[in-house]
Amino acid sequence: MWKTYSAGYLKHNRAICASVMAAAFIAALFLSFLCGLFYNFWQDDIAGVIEEEGAWHGRILGELDEEDISFISGLPHVEHVSVQEELSGEAGAVVEIIFNPVRAILTDMPFITESLGLEEEAVSYHYRLLALYFVRIPGDESPRLIMPFYLAIVAAVCISMILVIYNAFAFTMHSRVHQFGIFASVGATPLQIRICLLQEAFYMTMVPILSGIMAGAVLCWCVFEAIMRMAEQIVGGRRAQFLYPPGILAVTMLVSLLTVLAAVWRPARRMSRMTPLEAIRGSSEMQLVKRKHSPILCFLFGMEGELAGNARKAQKRAFRTSTISLTMSYIGFMLMQCFFTLSDISTEETYFARYQDAWDIMVTVPDTGIDKIAYNDMRELRKLSGVKDVTVYQKAEAACKMPEEWLSDELMSLGGLEALTEESITRTEGALMAEAPVLVLDDESFRQYYEQTAGEEETVYTGERDTVSSVQGTIVINRVWDSLHSNFRDRVYVPFVQENQDTLMLCAAGEDKETMAVSVLAYTAQTPLLREEYADFALVQIMPQSYWAQIKAQIGGVEQDTYIRLLTDENLSLEELTQLEQKAKQILSASYPVESENRLQERISNDQMIGGYKLVLGGFCVLLAIIGVANVFSNTLGFLRLRKREVARYLSVGLTPGGVAKVFALEALVTAGEPVLITLPLVTVLTWAMIKASFLEPMVFIKRAPFGQIMIFIMLIFGSVALAYYLGGRKVLRYHISEALRNDVV
Amino acid sequence: MEILRCEGVSKIYGNGENQVRALDEIDLSVEAGEFVSVVGASGSGKSTLLHILGSVDQPSQGKVLVEGIDIASLSQKQSAIFRRRKVGIIYQFYNLIPTLTVEKNILMPLLLDKKKVNEEYFTQIVNSLGIQEKIHALPNQLSGGQQQRVAIARALIYRPALLLADEPTGNLDQRNSKEIMDMLRLSNRNLKQTILLITHDEKAALMADRIVTIEDGRIVSDEKRG
Repeated sequence: MWKTYSAGYLKHNRAICASVMAAAFIAALFLSFLCGLFYNFWQDDIAGVIEEEGAWHGRILGELDEEDISFISGLPHVEHVSVQEELSGEAGAVVEIIFNPVRAILTDMPFITESLGLEEEAVSYHYRLLALYFVRIPGDESPRLIMPFYLAIVAAVCISMILVIYNAFAFTMHSRVHQFGIFASVGATPLQIRICLLQEAFYMTMVPILSGIMAGAVLCWCVFEAIMRMAEQIVGGRRAQFLYPPGILAVTMLVSLLTVLAAVWRPARRMSRMTPLEAIRGSSEMQLVKRKHSPILCFLFGMEGELAGNARKAQKRAFRTSTISLTMSYIGFMLMQCFFTLSDISTEETYFARYQDAWDIMVTVPDTGIDKIAYNDMRELRKLSGVKDVTVYQKAEAACKMPEEWLSDELMSLGGLEALTEESITRTEGALMAEAPVLVLDDESFRQYYEQTAGEEETVYTGERDTVSSVQGTIVINRVWDSLHSNFRDRVYVPFVQENQDTLMLCAAGEDKETMAVSVLAYTAQTPLLREEYADFALVQIMPQSYWAQIKAQIGGVEQDTYIRLLTDENLSLEELTQLEQKAKQILSASYPVESENRLQERISNDQMIGGYKLVLGGFCVLLAIIGVANVFSNTLGFLRLRKREVARYLSVGLTPGGVAKVFALEALVTAGEPVLITLPLVTVLTWAMIKASFLEPMVFIKRAPFGQIMIFIMLIFGSVALAYYLGGRKVLRYHISEALRNDVV
Repeated sequence: MEILRCEGVSKIYGNGENQVRALDEIDLSVEAGEFVSVVGASGSGKSTLLHILGSVDQPSQGKVLVEGIDIASLSQKQSAIFRRRKVGIIYQFYNLIPTLTVEKNILMPLLLDKKKVNEEYFTQIVNSLGIQEKIHALPNQLSGGQQQRVAIARALIYRPALLLADEPTGNLDQRNSKEIMDMLRLSNRNLKQTILLITHDEKAALMADRIVTIEDGRIVSDEKRG
């Protein structure tokens, strides 16, 4: 039956196959692309975890001898056992085990523990790595969502593609209802018809699937390489190799074939179940179940508007996939653009603009205290040509114990700290415990800062100004954010405490037993100009390094790293700044491990990173848009052929060919425009909420709103949909009216 | 007054050895208010003639004049407007627009011309065709007979110069066939509507004033009936 009827029919009706072939090609392309991309991401994730944390699956800590280790090695699913010398110590040896298959860890690890008489606590699992191998260990509570995310996207694409192919295939079947009705009337069984239709589907889709898989693999390679290059530039480090093993090819092919099978199964079954009479009489025309009216289109475009509106309503089911995917892509794209615009504005205002003059080069010296940084090194840095200022600082956590009466009148009139923040306020023995983070500056920088604040009117001195070089103490950043009357973008501060205390009682953060009095040199609202976010509801202390050395033993809470901030001459180019950064690193790296960054490079990296996010998110929006447009193409190329009779009727009662073109143009407008109408209010509301949440002036956003990008995206989709209708409509108008009006129904 | 005139109308399909001459030098004249039946065997060229007279198809040779206008020389747009205003065509399979209500289907030629609907005439037509209860229904909610009445109403709404009916009873049962033919006869008598009926049903043909017989694309007889 297949050879007798279908092969010949398809050979002579290639146009009928076009939409199914196109849909299958696009489906295979996407599936191959996504499977390949996610496979490579997956491999990259595994390689990253192994590089950072090692390749072990399970670890045992305990007193294990050679015999125990050879017992473990002898187990059938244990691939490798090694003793991790670096981690082994007094508590015993750390033995790392790799299993093959990985899943065997679930049964073998408890078995090993039991056999060696070890406690459960002696065993640890490499949760991150195991989760990447789809092995979830009971007790691993972290939401390891990356693999489910990959699989969910592939599944979503599969479902979308099933709908696209389903629609395309349903149309070709519609055009053959009559033929299969005749087959059935002469004795073809439902099974024969179904098998014949499935064979047809495979005949039509085999070549597109293979070529789609190849095209998808090439696209995947291009995208993966682009992402890797971008990642390399931004974060540096390891570069993954692109892989497309035969296994993934087989999986892609299987998934593609299953997608096609799932898509054609239902239409094939439905057709095979039709009675011969139904099939022979069956109308392939679109019908409305209920009376519909398209008042807006009718009002705006007259009779053609009514016809277009009703035709779209009659095809609502067929266009469901395109409506959903186009709506999703519009929402995704518009929200992404608005979000990144807001994010850009916010980053500029809160980061680059705020820290414009606060730093040019930052050097982090990990695990090194400020006291370890040699004075000579600082002098060398200060001498570098182009360097204006160098500040070395370290941070520490502390708390300040004070009676509540010390709080400023302004703060009290606002209702106290509780009224401004939801952060828990600790009270002990009738006193208030306020956070008092300490910023320890090198003595030179502290002196400069002290002198700077001397010019500030609001600075209140508790001691003699000219004795600062000898007097040791703290400068208190006496401010608290009035969160009731200002937002985080334009913070207004009020004094935290009354400025008449010569000393403050500091203690270690979280403890209130041992406090020590520190001398207050001054109260000021002016923070040191550093790349630091100062706490809003805390009494920040700025201290010189030499004073901190005296009190740090009692206060503690010091962070491990020390920071060196360099300010340079203005208008240095990226190249000059990078050279200066290298020189600074050279000076320091001889004595300490250092990490560095510079402001211009960070800005570029930040832009690249946002560009990368936009590329990935935009890629998904485009993917959704392509699915939607593909559905529109399959609908128009397949369904419009079946509309020749409908168009002939229009023409026979006096609609001009121009009028028919207008009907199709309006249908295209509705197809592409309906998702925009759904999207716009939604995106407007959500963007408005985002603007409100970020306390941005709406006009600031509107001035930079991504209207251009959104318009281009919308126009591209409109253009694609218009092209689909143009191609389909042209075909329909080529039919002769009198031919189309003849009815071959018996 | 002559309303329709065909001069040497031929229609040839295909070329070379596969050439088929569906109409061969047809000459025909129809006076205003006449009810003409065109009869002939299947494949004789009746429907081709109707399609050419309705400007749905173009003749290969010859002239077709409707109210003095040569419709063979009209552009596609002019043909469409001609079909809208000058002829009403009734098909065997109704050819109603499935997405429009009965009312909109009937009024479509007027709506395409953005013309005001004569409510009185509309009511008269739907009442006389017995479809007044169905004007808000969709075509697929009607029986075959009802759909054909809607097609007749649509054909008559513009008061066309010529009503062309292509086997209008071919898809209907006996009772509906008789009712449809009675309606056509009534519109011919009461509204002085010129009708050209294509049929192979002898009974239907006998209701006309004149019977034209076609064989192999030629008119072989043209009889006026008493």
